[in-house]
Amino acid sequence: MPDVYNWQIGRTMAYPYPEAHPRRQFAAVFNINRCIGCQTCTGACKATWTFSRGQETMWWNNVETKPYGSYPQHWDVKALQLLDEAHQAAGVQPRWDRGQTGERAPYGVYNGLTLTEAADPNEVVLGYLPTDAEWRYPNFYEDTSTAYPGGPFGLSPDGAALPEHQAWFFYLMRVCNHCTYPACLAACPRKAIYKREEDGIVLIDQERCRGYRKCVEACPYKKTMYRGVTQVSEKCVACYPRVEGADPLTDGVPMEARCMAVCPGKIRLNGLVEIAEDGSWVEAPQHPLYYLVHIAQVALPLYPQFGTEPNIYYIPPRWAPRPYLRQMFGPGVDQAVERYTAPSRELLAVLQLFRTTQKMIFRFEIEEGPLVREVAVNGKTWQMYNDTVIGFDAKGREAVRLSVVEPLHERPPERPNSI
Amino acid sequence: MNRHTLPIVFLVVLAALAVGLRTAPLSSQGLTITAAAVEGALPVNAVDDPLWQRTTAVDVPLSAQMIAKPFWPTAKVKSIRVRGLHNGQDLALLLEWNDDTRNDASLRVDEFRDSVAVQFPLVAAQPFVCMGQQGGNVNIWHWKADWQAALVARRTLQAAHPNIYVDYYPFAEADDNLYAAAYADTTYLTAEAAGNLLAMPVHASPVEDLVAGGFGTLTSQPAAAQNVQGYGVWQNGVWRVIFSRGLRSNESDDIVLTPDQVYAVAFAAWDGANGERNGAKATSQWVSLQFGAAAAPTAPAAPEAPSAPAPMGLPLWAWIILGVLGLLILLGGLFALLLPDRT
Repeated sequence: MPDVYNWQIGRTMAYPYPEAHPRRQFAAVFNINRCIGCQTCTGACKATWTFSRGQETMWWNNVETKPYGSYPQHWDVKALQLLDEAHQAAGVQPRWDRGQTGERAPYGVYNGLTLTEAADPNEVVLGYLPTDAEWRYPNFYEDTSTAYPGGPFGLSPDGAALPEHQAWFFYLMRVCNHCTYPACLAACPRKAIYKREEDGIVLIDQERCRGYRKCVEACPYKKTMYRGVTQVSEKCVACYPRVEGADPLTDGVPMEARCMAVCPGKIRLNGLVEIAEDGSWVEAPQHPLYYLVHIAQVALPLYPQFGTEPNIYYIPPRWAPRPYLRQMFGPGVDQAVERYTAPSRELLAVLQLFRTTQKMIFRFEIEEGPLVREVAVNGKTWQMYNDTVIGFDAKGREAVRLSVVEPLHERPPERPNSI
Repeated sequence: MNRHTLPIVFLVVLAALAVGLRTAPLSSQGLTITAAAVEGALPVNAVDDPLWQRTTAVDVPLSAQMIAKPFWPTAKVKSIRVRGLHNGQDLALLLEWNDDTRNDASLRVDEFRDSVAVQFPLVAAQPFVCMGQQGGNVNIWHWKADWQAALVARRTLQAAHPNIYVDYYPFAEADDNLYAAAYADTTYLTAEAAGNLLAMPVHASPVEDLVAGGFGTLTSQPAAAQNVQGYGVWQNGVWRVIFSRGLRSNESDDIVLTPDQVYAVAFAAWDGANGERNGAKATSQWVSLQFGAAAAPTAPAAPEAPSAPAPMGLPLWAWIILGVLGLLILLGGLFALLLPDRT
């Protein structure tokens, strides 16, 4: 297998194909802290793409309650268990070497095995095929928290105090990660899966697919799905007609995917980032996704140790136990939570851009405003400024303008409840 | 060249020879299937027809596919018993193999079908036995147990998921049975709209007619070019499947058969219960297929094997010379190793 460079694990790794990167990459940041679990994203995707016969249990977008919920059931536990068994068999103690953190290895170097490296000698990728039953309950364990430790009636006076809640759950919203090194693509024996040069979107060729389900087996996130009615597999298409700017609403500029654009909780920011020939993100400090992932580093990949270099990034929930979060998002978790909890002036402004326009934002500018608040956060003084952030679309036109403090309109007393 | 480099040279030459042999194997099993000549219609839908008893069955051994990943060391089918009949117009092959379970569905994600395939080279010689090679296409006939079952009754979603309940499917036509309602616009059956033969709601035959030229190149022939018939039954742990097609075909991706010639043919089988699909299968080497003479339609097939078709690119005499050369190089290399070091 050729070696490819995966910056999320800070090293080269084995992959069946040599490096060849798209010009731009479909990417997004999901802010777990803000998700209310309303499933509007799930419904929007369903109503757009998967409402037909054979797609009944197919949810390209799903929101599951961690730690117990998962769709398909136990996908993460099973993938982690397989990797753990492979490490034990190989006598490898997987660790992140934080001492080697650098520009091309922002989280340090992962010394364990990835899914291509841990694969059985007979296979290309380490994986498993979920059973039919495991796809049936997309929201099992919804809103189920861990148990309160002690106390009558399971109540605890200090169960929900930061920095780590004693009883906790959080929502994990998931779509296809349109990985840089997709496991599905690696495992397809007939090259029916491809990654688009123009935007890095990973698609299954519906004409070439023969329904072998090797991709379903290989994708650790289980985001390729078999449709028995047509005998082939399907997956999230990243709403590519919208990304191409084909929707008349945006006047030819790239538009966010449906699941991103409908979010009532304003947790998602979707865009395209420029990719250099070596696969790194072209430096763009004024691009909101570049800023969040590479400068503020508050948004982290989901299970980077799988080695697929996923392109959906998560702002981890600041109340959940750190070991669990480190397993899920890698060693950048502590810094991300710290920075998100007391955001810098620029970060706070950029966070306002989430879900405010359907147009993908390619650049932002900040106009400075007055100091409006000063409080203590984690024992340190934190200042809030009412800055204004302006987002620009692909053609450099202003797409959205927001202030940190939302405008307040006070209705006159004589019309307290007029509609 | 000193004593140390000679063995390396000889190893390189041997390796080159080995690669040459691997890409163009001889009919290694030396087996010959003889399609017995009969008059009149062939029993294309009757596995118990007495005509089949006039043929000599050949047991073709299969082995696990271990050339292209995913390898499949646990392949279940160990051999296929093959019989052949022809009437000067059509060829029929009867394949029998043991399989404890009948797997004739692939609607659920964890269901895999039983299937069996026959492969012919589309070039005069023998291309690589596993799916052919570049410039050496193969014609593959792939019988599928679920396609066979669908000819009687297409498996429904209710059968696969007894508790299914759907309010309605947007854009589906009105139908008493929602789960079988047709779509006027196949956009919503994406693979069907893309022209994928596998996704078509109805197949006239349980056999798919395909072409391939190397790993990952397997391609369905167009719907209008599907011209292989088939019939399969499972009984008491044995699948019996008949393939039939006219000897001649005008399609460039079809094998054209002439009774006075000998053809290479290979077989593969999949056990759905063992999760077998794609390269996860058991395959044979190339074996020979010849046609019995029309003059003796009722006689058993001649047991005598003809000379195997030449491997691709080289006649048999050339391979013999190469073999002798290889032996000489081997001896030379060993001799060089024994010489005292003069350096």
